[in-house]
Amino acid sequence: MFDPTTLEIYRALFTSVAEEMGVALRRTAFSPNIKERRDYSCAVFDAKGRVIAQGDHMPVHLGSMPMAVAAALAEIKLAPGDVVALNDPFAGGTHLPDVTLVMPIAIGPRIFFYVANRAHHADIGGATPGSMGLAADIYGEGIRIPPIRLVRNGVLDRDTMRLLLANVRGNVERRGDFDAQIGSLKTGAARLLEIIERRGEKEVSEYASQLINYSARLMRYTIASIPDGEYEAEDALDDDGVEDRAVAIKVRISIEGEQALVDFTGSAPQVTGAINAVEAITVSAVSYVFRCLVDGEVPASAGLMEPIEVIAPRGTVVNANPPASVAGGNVETSQRIVDVLFRALANALPDRIPAASQGTMNNLTIGGIDSRNGQEFSYYETVAGGMGARPSSDGMSGVHTHMTNSMNTPAEALEYAYPLRVREYRLRKGSGGAGEHRGGDGVVREIETLVPARMSLLCDRRKRGPYGLFGGEDGATGVNEIISEKKKYRIASKGSHELKAGDRIRIETPGGGGWGNTDNTD
Amino acid sequence: MASRQLIRIGVDTGGTFTDFVFERDGRLQLFKLPSTPSDPSLAIRQGLERICAETDSRLDQIEVVHGTTVGTNALLQRRGARIALVTTKGFEDVLAIGRQARPELYNLNAIKPPPLVSNELRLGIGERVVASGEVLEPLDERELRTLVNKLKQAGVEAVAISLLFSFLHPEHEERIALSLAPLDVPLSISSRILPEYREYERTSTVVINAYLQPLMGRYLKRLSGETKLNLRVMQSSGGSISADAAAIEPVRTILSGPSGGVVGALRAAQSAGIQNVITFDMGGTSTDVALCDSGAIRTTNEATVAGLPVAVSVMDIHTVGAGGGSIARVDEGGSLRVGPESAGADPGPACYGRSLLPTVTDAHVVLGHFGGTGLLGGEFKLDEERAREAMQKLADDLSRVSGKRVSITNAAEGVLSVANTNMERALRYISVERGHDPRQFALLPFGGAGGLHAVELARALRIPTIIAPVAPGALSAVGVLVADVIKDQSRTVMFTYEAKSISKLGRVFSELEREAARLLRAEGFLRSKQRHERSLAMRYRGQSFELEVRDTAGDLARAFHRAHRERYGYAQEESEIEIVSARLRSFGLVEKLPQRKIETTRGKPHGNVTAHLNGRKVSVALYKRDELRSGAKLQTPCIVTEYSATTLIPSEANARVDQFGNLIIRQDLQDVSR
Repeated sequence: MFDPTTLEIYRALFTSVAEEMGVALRRTAFSPNIKERRDYSCAVFDAKGRVIAQGDHMPVHLGSMPMAVAAALAEIKLAPGDVVALNDPFAGGTHLPDVTLVMPIAIGPRIFFYVANRAHHADIGGATPGSMGLAADIYGEGIRIPPIRLVRNGVLDRDTMRLLLANVRGNVERRGDFDAQIGSLKTGAARLLEIIERRGEKEVSEYASQLINYSARLMRYTIASIPDGEYEAEDALDDDGVEDRAVAIKVRISIEGEQALVDFTGSAPQVTGAINAVEAITVSAVSYVFRCLVDGEVPASAGLMEPIEVIAPRGTVVNANPPASVAGGNVETSQRIVDVLFRALANALPDRIPAASQGTMNNLTIGGIDSRNGQEFSYYETVAGGMGARPSSDGMSGVHTHMTNSMNTPAEALEYAYPLRVREYRLRKGSGGAGEHRGGDGVVREIETLVPARMSLLCDRRKRGPYGLFGGEDGATGVNEIISEKKKYRIASKGSHELKAGDRIRIETPGGGGWGNTDNTD
Repeated sequence: MASRQLIRIGVDTGGTFTDFVFERDGRLQLFKLPSTPSDPSLAIRQGLERICAETDSRLDQIEVVHGTTVGTNALLQRRGARIALVTTKGFEDVLAIGRQARPELYNLNAIKPPPLVSNELRLGIGERVVASGEVLEPLDERELRTLVNKLKQAGVEAVAISLLFSFLHPEHEERIALSLAPLDVPLSISSRILPEYREYERTSTVVINAYLQPLMGRYLKRLSGETKLNLRVMQSSGGSISADAAAIEPVRTILSGPSGGVVGALRAAQSAGIQNVITFDMGGTSTDVALCDSGAIRTTNEATVAGLPVAVSVMDIHTVGAGGGSIARVDEGGSLRVGPESAGADPGPACYGRSLLPTVTDAHVVLGHFGGTGLLGGEFKLDEERAREAMQKLADDLSRVSGKRVSITNAAEGVLSVANTNMERALRYISVERGHDPRQFALLPFGGAGGLHAVELARALRIPTIIAPVAPGALSAVGVLVADVIKDQSRTVMFTYEAKSISKLGRVFSELEREAARLLRAEGFLRSKQRHERSLAMRYRGQSFELEVRDTAGDLARAFHRAHRERYGYAQEESEIEIVSARLRSFGLVEKLPQRKIETTRGKPHGNVTAHLNGRKVSVALYKRDELRSGAKLQTPCIVTEYSATTLIPSEANARVDQFGNLIIRQDLQDVSR
């Protein structure tokens, strides 16, 4: 049994450890991607490697961080003072730019906890600057790091670090980001040791387990509120950027009492283009969707997934085998998995589930030489869109939805930093699907390059719009155009293009789906 | 009569009471009147008349400094004006998109606060200035005429103007302002109010200003009345401005009230010889915490009020939704939650007699922490039976989930432990998470409930000293009275640092200083009563956040590397440095108030009561604050009650009264464990 007061105190304590690790990382990291867009997560794990608490940072890391720690513990016998690094999507990672560091917290020889953080590095090598291009296999996407010791007994392994830095662009910034990640782990360690000192190791360990049970109880309670039954849905990504063919994702959710079984059997085989998801991403998406169904706050502990079983058949686009390329699995496929899950659940919970949101992150990279100072520049950003309409309200317009929540770069900041100019940035009026409640509108973002540049896009929902629900119309599909010497032409959702000085890339992002029949509008 | 000195009065409007502080014969006098929420100026006029009568003066012989919530409340309740916004064409929706992030990650029903300007009134105009300051596209005069006509027909009460890169080339905004003059409505112009880059934050600030202008103008006019009152208004940054300036830039008063509290708290700490202090203002529904380092109040340009960014200088106050009224309940997973739901003032905690909601205040009642005296010096009785009844229900729920009998006392203690854990997080957030070690600070509680939690919280954070100030319920009014006049100016300059750039900066600063000196002189501050502080917002090239550096001459690079290392633990000596903005804070120095020393006597307890402390039922000394004299050493454990607050001091701590009446509580932290 447990004491409800003590339980609540530990909920706050463990969550604050994860949050303080996040602050330390953000404060000390070098790259804008971590500091401004906040593409990172921090978490605390118990001695068995089960997650106890995770900061509210990036939803896509929610279910996938635990697999990183599991992979690290499976491969390496961690000793006090060690730090393990990994990014291998086929051994605990998600896509190569996301590098995870894991450290044990020990008193004497005994390990009580692990802390881990994951940050999206602005470059991790490979053929395309930013490491988010379309490669045919993982080898073309960057350097692959299986679980290895980066720090041994408190001392940084310089040889390993040199090997890593020799394979990435902007290695001063990369080194700074690694240092920041290690510093953040130390912050978490100090805080946990202080808590153990204050409250005693027995109670701290016991309530780490109690917190897992607590999340599990809340999730069971939530699942029990879903009517028993089998709920199916299917949706698809436009294509993989290589072949012009839809890539289907299929799910069947079986609810029985307090248990859920989520089965992706029937989803498309893995593809050549870089939109394959590894299992960690699929689990993350499931975790996110069920987390949204829980009322109020709940610790993101291992308990959340206890009553949920995920079946993701190997060799499919939701659980790819090596050496598939996976850069877009994290950012695009993860969104479609969410869409499919919600579509299935809408049959069970018609008054709670929103219509589809934009379902893409609209990844845009522009790189070249800045004529103002002769230096290389690389600009990466994701663009917001429309949120799906809700059973009781319209969808929000111009926001990031589901698996991401990164911020935009202000036009004035962008023009100071890069030889680029924002020509238009507005809501894409009318792009949200009609219905009793309207889907949110997407946005229009048009950027002119002032120098010759190479531009890469990784988007989706350009062929089929985000679905409406219960009679609501679909949201408008997204549109990508290049405007060159007053001529306008459409380009595909995925791929790279050479731009001349004065050319513009115009991205119109998808609107959210509508909810309910339009006739019911007041 | 002509040479007679002005009587200075501090007035702070709160939800329940309006507090007045004034100086008479070298002593501070305090009193409270019930607030008049529908028109706060009524209570203020009433109080001012009372002071005039008591001091035999006329309204033109007093000077009033006012901490107001008029702006904050109008923003929170969305009661501002119908306004329009003029932007660069193509950027009309920047205000609606914001930074594109959603407010809550896992809430499918989350709502972004809708923009303060509706779709049809966000109007673009053809023009474009670029990052170099050059005009790429001149202002379209034909569109300007159409725009003026449109706004005439729309019947707006105020207009905000915010164009891209306006701070580099204000002429376009000024031209639009000129054309809008015939509308005869207040204008908020971005290159005047906030000449700094980042269009969303700047636009949001200017729009909030326009939204509040008509309302604030009317309010201050009403307050001044027929006799033109000598009136100043507290700004969010911790200094005051003239009422005229506040009517033009009301966005600067958005946290007027809370910032008065921090200034008053810092002054109290300084009277006790302490410069490093964390202030802790615990009220009924929320708690405000702030940190003062070496006697300086921290300000930020990244504040958010009612979900909207306010990028002018604002005191760095962190607010959490935990207070005396926070409701306790057992959730579906079996955890004891306290807040964020609050019983508020109505129906209020169970002990107020109108509800059966178990709250933090009820937990204190059940544990005997008010010493059986009620609130407001006994004027407000507490219904102990109801508090026990509410807490019993909670105890039953706790027994059910934990499978063992939980007593009413255990339940109340649990509520306080959880509430303290939440507040400890708030205190860590403004100290540890920003690189400060709480052990080097004193904790200064104020507000009604601060003193009930302070010693316990200090213990958790290993803070050795707690200062319970005199008149903790009126600190905001004291704060606004002692605050200096402050004018903040800034300008985005954005260039890469080189040794020769110093002269360029010199010119910018002299311009800003000339303007500030002129304004302060107009408000009656001679050169000798002015102080100007320069600072620079700097960063490494490629970073997205700036760091404020006080050095503005000499080797700026070294100063910046050092500041960066102090704040973030590392420096990038080989990187280029950008100077983003020049900032000038100008002070009009206000006469210091006398500190009144109090008489020396031994303090004797008023009696003894029984209360539950640290899980034990003990006999506790009960003191009345106004009976305590300088030098008094208090028996612990004890409860100190006074008109607007209660302080709880356990046996591990000792407490004495200093020469100004502050209660100085110290605890030995050699062995902190629970």
